[in-house]
Amino acid sequence: MPNPVEILGRAARRIAQVAAARTFAYAILPAVVATALAFSLHPLAHLTWERWGYVLGGGAERTLFDGLLAVAGLMLAGGFTFAAAAYLRARDLVAVAERVDEAVGGRQQILTLATLADPSAPDSAKRRRSPLFPVLWNSAAAFLESFDPRRAFPLDLGRSITRSSVLASAIALGTILAAIGLIRTPTPLQAQASRLRELAAEIESTSSGPGDLAMAEMAREAADALEDPKLTPEEKKQRIEEVMRQMASHSEERQGGGKEKGKGAGGGSAQNGKGSGSGQGQSEGKSNGSGNGSAKNGEGKGASRNDKGRQGDDKRIELQNELSKAEAQIETEGASNQNPNSQPGGEKDRGEAPEGGKTPEEKAQGSQPSPRQPGSIPTQSAQGNRNVPQSGTGRQPGKDQGSNLGDTHLGEFPTPAQAQRYLKPGEKGGSLDIHDARYVMFRLPSATPVGSGGTTVIDPHRTKATTPYVNAPLKETSSDAPPDERQLVPPRYRDLIH
Amino acid sequence: MGAAPQTSPDQRVAEFRDVFKRAEQEVSRVIVGHQEVIRKLLTALFCGGHILIEGVPGLGKTLMCKTAADTLGLSFKRIQFTPDLMPSDIIGTQVLTEHDGRREFQFKPGPIFAHMVLGDEVNRATPKTQSAVLEAMEERQVTVFGVTYKLDPPYIVLATQNPIELEGTYPLPEAQMDRFLFKVIMNPPRPEELREILNRTTGTEVRKPEPIFDPKLAPQAIESLKALVREVMVAEPLERYIIGIVSACTPNTPGAIPEVSQYLRFGPSPRGAQALMLCSKVNALLEGRVSVGYEDIDDAIVPCLRHRLLRNFQAEAENVTTESILEQVRKRLKRPRA
Repeated sequence: MPNPVEILGRAARRIAQVAAARTFAYAILPAVVATALAFSLHPLAHLTWERWGYVLGGGAERTLFDGLLAVAGLMLAGGFTFAAAAYLRARDLVAVAERVDEAVGGRQQILTLATLADPSAPDSAKRRRSPLFPVLWNSAAAFLESFDPRRAFPLDLGRSITRSSVLASAIALGTILAAIGLIRTPTPLQAQASRLRELAAEIESTSSGPGDLAMAEMAREAADALEDPKLTPEEKKQRIEEVMRQMASHSEERQGGGKEKGKGAGGGSAQNGKGSGSGQGQSEGKSNGSGNGSAKNGEGKGASRNDKGRQGDDKRIELQNELSKAEAQIETEGASNQNPNSQPGGEKDRGEAPEGGKTPEEKAQGSQPSPRQPGSIPTQSAQGNRNVPQSGTGRQPGKDQGSNLGDTHLGEFPTPAQAQRYLKPGEKGGSLDIHDARYVMFRLPSATPVGSGGTTVIDPHRTKATTPYVNAPLKETSSDAPPDERQLVPPRYRDLIH
Repeated sequence: MGAAPQTSPDQRVAEFRDVFKRAEQEVSRVIVGHQEVIRKLLTALFCGGHILIEGVPGLGKTLMCKTAADTLGLSFKRIQFTPDLMPSDIIGTQVLTEHDGRREFQFKPGPIFAHMVLGDEVNRATPKTQSAVLEAMEERQVTVFGVTYKLDPPYIVLATQNPIELEGTYPLPEAQMDRFLFKVIMNPPRPEELREILNRTTGTEVRKPEPIFDPKLAPQAIESLKALVREVMVAEPLERYIIGIVSACTPNTPGAIPEVSQYLRFGPSPRGAQALMLCSKVNALLEGRVSVGYEDIDDAIVPCLRHRLLRNFQAEAENVTTESILEQVRKRLKRPRA
C-alpha cells in the first residue's frame, strides 16, 4: 500500500518543477530574442550603412547593445525569480492534492487527506481527524496506487513559449523603433572611422603575419579616436598622427626585410627607399588670400617597389590614405568648430589649404612610390592665388588628399578649395592614381597666370576641319536690361564665377 | 440487524450504506415514485433534522412516513393540524388520576412523543400550536407544568403543507421554517407511476415493508449511524465553499450575487450552512466516501436552502422562485482553490 503523503510529496515536487519550468519558459524567448538582436546589431548597423548610407552611431549602437543585453538579463533574472516563486508556491501540499484529486477523480478525498495529513499543517488540523481517517487514507492510497506524477503533469513548455512570443515581438519591435530613431546620417568622421574599421577587418582577414594584425589594431585605434566624443580635434589629430608614425615605423621594418629580398630576387631592379628621407608639406592660408604650398620630398628618393601586387601592401597603402583623409577631416571639423558660423568651405576664407607633403607617403619616405618629381604639381592654397600653379608642392596627382574631396556620402559635395590639381600648360602629367574617390573635381585655370612661365604652344597635330565652315554670329551676350531675377551666388562659388 | 459500535470504520460505512439503501427499497415497495423525497426523508433522519413536505393531499405523504417508520422500527404518530388544535393536544397534558385513594396529576404524553411524528397540514394550526411543535423540534424536549420531558431519540418531525386552500391557514413564519432541515416538494405522480399506484392499492395484495431493525434496538442503531454521519470529514476548501454559498445567498453582502440582492429580502441563517454540511456528509457516505466532495454539497443546496430564502415583492411579482435563484448561485459560485 503506497503512502499517499509520500506520493503527494512527489507530485508536489513534480508540479513545482513543471511550474518553475513553465514560468521560466516565459522568459526564454524574449531573452533569446533580445540577445540575438544585441549581437546582430552591429552587422545590421553595418548593413544599414552599406545599403542605405545611414549609420547607427557607435554610442547609439553601444546603448542599444547594452540595453538589449540588460533586457535579456532582466528577463532571465525575472524569469528565474518568478520561477523560484512558482516553485515554492506550487509545493503547497493541499494545492497539490487538489490538482491530484482532479487528475485521479478522487472527488476531494485526496484534498481532504492532505488537509488532515499535511506534515506542515498545525496540530489543530490533525486533531480534526475523525475515526474514519483510516478509511480515507486507504481510499486515497488506492487512488494513488497507480498514479505517476510525471505522466499526470507533463512538462509542456509550448504554451508558455507561444505566449511569451508576444513579449519577444514587443522587444523586437521596440528595438527596431529605437534603432530607427537612433540612426543618423553619418558625419564625415564617422564615415571615415567606419572605413578604417572595414580596412582593419580586411587586413585581418588577409593578414600574413603579426605585423598585419598590429596594423589592423592601429586602424581600429584610429577609428576609435575619430569617434571618441571626448577627444578634441587636436587630440584626435595627435592620435591619428601617432598611429601614422607607428605605421611608418612598422613599414620601415617591413621594408628593411623586403630590401634584402628585392635585391636577391630582382637583381637590383627595384630601388628601395632608404627610409630616411623626410617629406614635408606646408601650406599656409592667410586671411588675406595669399597662400603657398611647398613640399620637400626629401631627396626625392621614394622607393619604387617591385612588390606592389602584394595584397597586404595595398591594404597598408589604402589604410595610410584613409588615415590621411581622416586627418584632413579632423582639420576641417576643427576649423568648423572654431568658426561655427562659417559655411561649408569656410576654411578657404581663412586661406587654409591642405597641407601638402604631409601625406603618409611623404612622411614615410621610401615606403611609398612617388611617381612625381618634386614640385611638379602646383597646389592652390588660397583664394588669392588659387589659380596660380605653384611649384614645389608635394601633392601627388593621383592621391585623394582631402577628407571629403571625393569620398563623400549622401550629398556631401566636395569643396573646391582642396580639389585643384592641374598642370601647367603644356606640361604632361602622369596617369591619375585615384582610389576610392566618388567625386573628383578638376578646375582649369581661366587664364595663364602672369609670370608663371607658361608659353603658348601651337599644336601642329591638332585636328583640322576638312569642310569649309563659317562661324555663325553669336547672339549678343550682354544686355543692358536687368535680369529677370537676381540670385545671390552661394559663397562657395563666388570665387569661381566671375 | 443491530448496530455494532466495535466494528471497523470500513464496516460502519458499509453498514450505513446498506441500511440506507434497504430503507429506500422497503419504502419504495409501498410508495410509488418520490425517490428523491424518500431519500431526503431518510437523510433528514440520519442528519437529526426535520423535514417539511409540501404537496397536495393524496400524494402519499402520510403513508410514506409511516412506511419509513415501520421499516426502521421506529414509533410513529400522526397529528392532523386543525385551527382548533391546542398545544396540549400535541404535547400532552396533566390528567388527574387516582392511585390507592390518592389523587394526583399524571402526565399524559401527547402524540409528539414518538420517534417519527407526522404533522399533517401544519399550516392549518394556529401559531400558538405550531410553536409548541416547533419548540419540541428544536429542543427535543417539552415542558408541561414546569416539568421537562425529553423526547426519545431518534426524533424527527415530518410536517406537511398544502400549497392550495390557503384560506384560513397560518403559513409558517420564516423563523419556524428555518428549523426544518429540508423542504421537499412532492409532485403529482406521472402517468406510469399513477398506474402502478392503482395496481398496488386497488388490488388484493397488501404490501408491507420489511423492518430493518428490531424495534427495541432501532433507536440505538440509528443513533449510531447518525454519529457516523458526523464523523465524515470535510476539507477546509469545501467548508469555504459552503460558507461562500450561504454568503452568496445573503442579499446586500459582499459575496451576494446580483440576483440575490435583487430578489431576496433575507438569506439563510447559519442553520442553512449546518444543513448543507450534514446533508453533504450523508451524500458522501451514500457514495461510500468518508469525506465530502463538491458534488455532495451541490446536491444539497436546493433542498437545504430553498425554504430559508425570503423573497421580496419583486420576486413574487415576477414569479422568481427560490429554486431558480439557488441554481444561479450554484452556477456562478466558483469552487475555492486550495
